[in-house]
Amino acid sequence: MNLLENKVIQIANKNVKDKTRHWQYLVFSLGFAVMYTLIFYFFLGRETFQYSFPGMIIYITAASTTSAAISFAVDKTSGMLERLDTMPTGRKNLFLGALLSETLMISLQILIMFILGYAVLQVPFKGIFELFIGFFIAVLFGISSVGIGIIISAIAKTPEVANAISLFYYLPILFLSGSLWPFESVMVFFTPPYWAKQVFLQITVLGDGLFDPLYSSSLIGPTGTAQQLPISLFGGLLVIIAFTLAFIILGIIIFQKKTKF
Amino acid sequence: MSVSKEFIAIEIKDIKKHFKEVKAVDGVSLKIRKGELFSILGPNGAGKTTLVRMLTTVLTPTAGDANVYGYSILTGKKEIVKKIGVCPQVITIYEVLKAEENVEFIAIMHGMTRKEAKEKTRKILEDFGIAGRKDWSKHFSGGMQRRLNLAMSLVFEPKILFLDEPTAGLDPQARRLVWDYIRDLKNKDITIILMTHDMVEADSLSDRIAFIDQGKIIAEGTPTELKEKYGSDNALEVSFIEQEDLEIVRDNIKNIPFVVNWNESSRKERNTLLISFQGGLKNLMKLLQQGLIDNIDEVENMKFRQNSLEDVFLNLTGRRLRD
Repeated sequence: MNLLENKVIQIANKNVKDKTRHWQYLVFSLGFAVMYTLIFYFFLGRETFQYSFPGMIIYITAASTTSAAISFAVDKTSGMLERLDTMPTGRKNLFLGALLSETLMISLQILIMFILGYAVLQVPFKGIFELFIGFFIAVLFGISSVGIGIIISAIAKTPEVANAISLFYYLPILFLSGSLWPFESVMVFFTPPYWAKQVFLQITVLGDGLFDPLYSSSLIGPTGTAQQLPISLFGGLLVIIAFTLAFIILGIIIFQKKTKF
Repeated sequence: MSVSKEFIAIEIKDIKKHFKEVKAVDGVSLKIRKGELFSILGPNGAGKTTLVRMLTTVLTPTAGDANVYGYSILTGKKEIVKKIGVCPQVITIYEVLKAEENVEFIAIMHGMTRKEAKEKTRKILEDFGIAGRKDWSKHFSGGMQRRLNLAMSLVFEPKILFLDEPTAGLDPQARRLVWDYIRDLKNKDITIILMTHDMVEADSLSDRIAFIDQGKIIAEGTPTELKEKYGSDNALEVSFIEQEDLEIVRDNIKNIPFVVNWNESSRKERNTLLISFQGGLKNLMKLLQQGLIDNIDEVENMKFRQNSLEDVFLNLTGRRLRD
């Protein structure tokens, strides 16, 4: 079968067209990344900005929660989901297509931030290989955010409510995770952004290997009093994968339950 | 009338859907034949949409079952969705996709190859008068969007098509275009389930009709059968120039067996006779010949009011369909 006749590819293709043809969406998703990077650069100053950059990447990637939540909520409320349910499309293909398109958009967003941060604003990094691994971690975290977006869309009655709930979720969680500013608390370990930021930071900035120890969130700043944790970066990576799988599976289960009559 | 199973497209068996205390569909049984256009008429909240959502496997019934092309809606969703097309009342299109992108997307979702999807899309968009539009569908007029909505449910040539108010909001010309297309579909062996408020639409297109009210089927039959059984009498209103002519006609129609009753009135220098009669257009012709043409030379004005499906519903429920 021709790849373009594959339902998942078609759904993803349709979703990407749907997103990229809305200039407001483009501004929100891609312009948002550029705008926040520049704002942080000018307000934090060069040195603090450089330390904060890994956390900012995670912060911007978490915005995928909103995008996914709205996207699914629109299909749900417009009747398109019901229409697709009366076709041999299959919910499995719908979810995979949405995951694929959201992953593409997240990757584009991260790529823009990488170019702006590492190439233009000279944020230090260990090496290209480490950046490549960092890119993979950020995308993985983005996928977990899509999972949360699906959960939110299942609960939300309208796209507007989905937008509000996702903001309500991801803004506090970013501060509680210590991703943007150091926050020493047991609470951070329950938030996905902490793990993503910490593994990302230690690999791309310090050049740590997968079996080096993971540190607490204070490692973000130059004056931090970071504590070594009894877990390696590999363990941290497994936690991110576990969060991602859990959110995606949970998202699909809740969405299926909430949209089945 | 018993129909062999091979000729049945949909068989509904005592199906029920209750939402807590609300009995949206309450024990409906129907047989819809292959290739017929079957209309489901009823007021808002009567249970039409719930019934169709069960038949299209979106809703699971509380009790009962239905077979769609031989597959149970409880166990045969995978097979049923390959055979049905659903055109929802609310226009459900991707607004930032072009017409051909919308239709092609649906065609590929139904397993067509890209080449086949492109070919079918081109053909159906031409049929619906929206070929060649290269802008996004959100820029289309309401009528064009509705036609696109319908084209999306037909591109894969379904065996059964569910149409929910397909002409709502269309101008008379576009409405006529859709009606003609629906008539064409009837010749292509497609079973059509039409849900509409439009009595003229149902009367002119349907082979058979079921009236649904409060979740139950209250009457079922061909439009003619329903009108004959539950409708009002047809009426002919004739205004005469001379009072004498009115009296001649009145005396003559007394002897015509299918004439039910008549009323005379003389207001504002108009002599009017309202004649109620049974039967269809054939009897109207007889009435005109025997009552009028054979006896008088001219009339001032004449109006014929045909027994309608609206009368059927009114007589069955005591309410108008839009009450």
